[in-house]
Amino acid sequence: MLAFKVENLNLWYEDNHALIDVSMDVPRNQVTALIGPSGCGKSTLLRCFNRMNDLIPKTKITGKILMKGDVEIRDPSVDVVKLRTDVGMVFQSPNPFPMSIFDNVAYGLRCQGIKDKKQLSATVERSLRQAALWDEVKDSLQRNALKLSGGQQQRLCIARAIALEPSVLLMDEPTSALDPIATAKIEDLMQSLKQMYTIVIVTHSMSQAARISDQTAFFLLGELIEVGPTADIFQVPKDKRTEDYISGKFG
Amino acid sequence: MNKARRRKDIMRTSVTWISAALAVLVLTSIFVFVFKRGAGTFSWSMLKDDYWSKNYLVAFGDVPANDFALPDADNEDEFFSRKFGFGLADSVDKENNQLMVVTTISAMSPLHEGTITTAGPDQGKVMAIPLDARIRRIDYLDQDNNVKSTGLLGQDHSAEGAIGRLEQEATAIREIYFQSTGGGIRGSIIATLMLIGLTLLFSLPLGISAAIYLHEVAPRNKVTDWIRAAVEMLAGVPSIIFGLMGVSMLFRVTNLFGITTQSVLLGSFTMTIMLLPLIMRQTEEALIVVPSSLRMASLSLGASTTQTIFKVVLPNALPGILSATLLSMSRIIGESAALIFTMGTAISDSPKISQGATTLAVHIWTVMAGEQPNFELATAISLLILVLVLGLNITVKLLTYRINKKWQV
Repeated sequence: MLAFKVENLNLWYEDNHALIDVSMDVPRNQVTALIGPSGCGKSTLLRCFNRMNDLIPKTKITGKILMKGDVEIRDPSVDVVKLRTDVGMVFQSPNPFPMSIFDNVAYGLRCQGIKDKKQLSATVERSLRQAALWDEVKDSLQRNALKLSGGQQQRLCIARAIALEPSVLLMDEPTSALDPIATAKIEDLMQSLKQMYTIVIVTHSMSQAARISDQTAFFLLGELIEVGPTADIFQVPKDKRTEDYISGKFG
Repeated sequence: MNKARRRKDIMRTSVTWISAALAVLVLTSIFVFVFKRGAGTFSWSMLKDDYWSKNYLVAFGDVPANDFALPDADNEDEFFSRKFGFGLADSVDKENNQLMVVTTISAMSPLHEGTITTAGPDQGKVMAIPLDARIRRIDYLDQDNNVKSTGLLGQDHSAEGAIGRLEQEATAIREIYFQSTGGGIRGSIIATLMLIGLTLLFSLPLGISAAIYLHEVAPRNKVTDWIRAAVEMLAGVPSIIFGLMGVSMLFRVTNLFGITTQSVLLGSFTMTIMLLPLIMRQTEEALIVVPSSLRMASLSLGASTTQTIFKVVLPNALPGILSATLLSMSRIIGESAALIFTMGTAISDSPKISQGATTLAVHIWTVMAGEQPNFELATAISLLILVLVLGLNITVKLLTYRINKKWQV
């Protein structure tokens, strides 16, 4: 089963050809890692999956991204607001809203118009449990989220995204602003989350990609160089450039 | 370092020092001037009194003369009536007119309980003669029960003459005709508050919405840039031109409400237009400070653009909007030129939205514009304005400091 099927995707920011003819599959309930040096287009591709690129003016896209087999996500009939509830996103640096922990997690639901208190608090608890944060914050749900540590904030952002029960979770270098212990916690979390969600993660750390992902895609200057099972990419890369990158010849 | 270079350096540095010192000196001297001239007149009664003095005729029902003790405090200028227990002194008003002013009233004096006989809403009410009342005439009964008057202008309008006559001839006191002091600014304070309230009521929703449109909704293109440039230029238009526009254009709008004169409403419309650039600018600054990562987070959670603006962006821009409000208030308090045209220069003791009135700043203009400028009152009002405006501006500074600290995590 596929979560996304990318077909001949091209993307331009004004004159900058940021994604060149990318075609790949994102399988369901697996972790797909996108790796490559800065400016290679991996984050751009990630933002295509929930159409956050729409917010950047003068962007031009051709090609297809099919979701769940046959839905073209850029089709005018697709409600972008609905798409984003189904494809959650976690950002590079933790960005909780300056409100209480509870309100942060309940934010997405409230935007959907859900007001039932029982339902809200049940969802908040479930999400925080799934994000392995419940035990640390269950007594202080009304505390301001900005008072949490960086790692806790990032797990709160994950809880906030999965509160909407998305099918896909996009993660844009979610641990790059965190210390090693917090990073380890988030990586553990991803292993348990992939039972329920498809995860696409952009990472700069090749060891992280090797540890956590099932499939890895290597990008260079907007092109998809190689995609395959993580073990293959790291042990028997087919392309010379992939080999050079993962062996640290350039970065 | 050679000598010539050192001399040049010293010269240049001293220029910067002198300029800075000059700025501080000017600010200090303004304060010293205002405090020195204004502090003497500044008083609680100035804040709560009417500006216009009123005439009262108060009857006492022929209270017979008594024998009052002289007051303890020795006042050389005062002439005391032992028959009726009050003292008068000579004085002059701001226009150098001769006055006879009540200086003491004994505890049991009949002056504490008279009945107003002047026609009007207060007729029949019990009233005590206030201290500082300007006596214009005292009617009394002499030994033969004839009604006589003293203290009349042009006859014996002096404390000595009036009290002398009373002590010689009077057997009972019948009526006193006097004028209240006036010179207070209560009406102008109320008018200022009315103007602030109305103006903010109109300008805040308009300005904030416009700023949201420009910064959050509008596409980044030439038209948006043009609108922004127009707003910036509006901020540079002298206020007297806004005043002119107010009387010529907005007057027709207030006309629709049946208002045919200059009015507080017209003033508030004009100030609304004047303050739009300020509020839009300040709000936009506050919106810029809200990290875009919060907008991204909100949008990625399936919130619509509108939900993002109202649930995330605006609450976080609130301190900035508050400081825009406070700055607007201080601009309203300080504005005069535009208001002279739109609200008029006639001081009103009981201002109404549909009628003309003066704000504190225009009140200064009015008392200084006459033939006999009232410097004391003008500086006392200036003192009040300075304190208010400085207080508001300091609050804004503190707020800005707090906003900057908040996002420096």
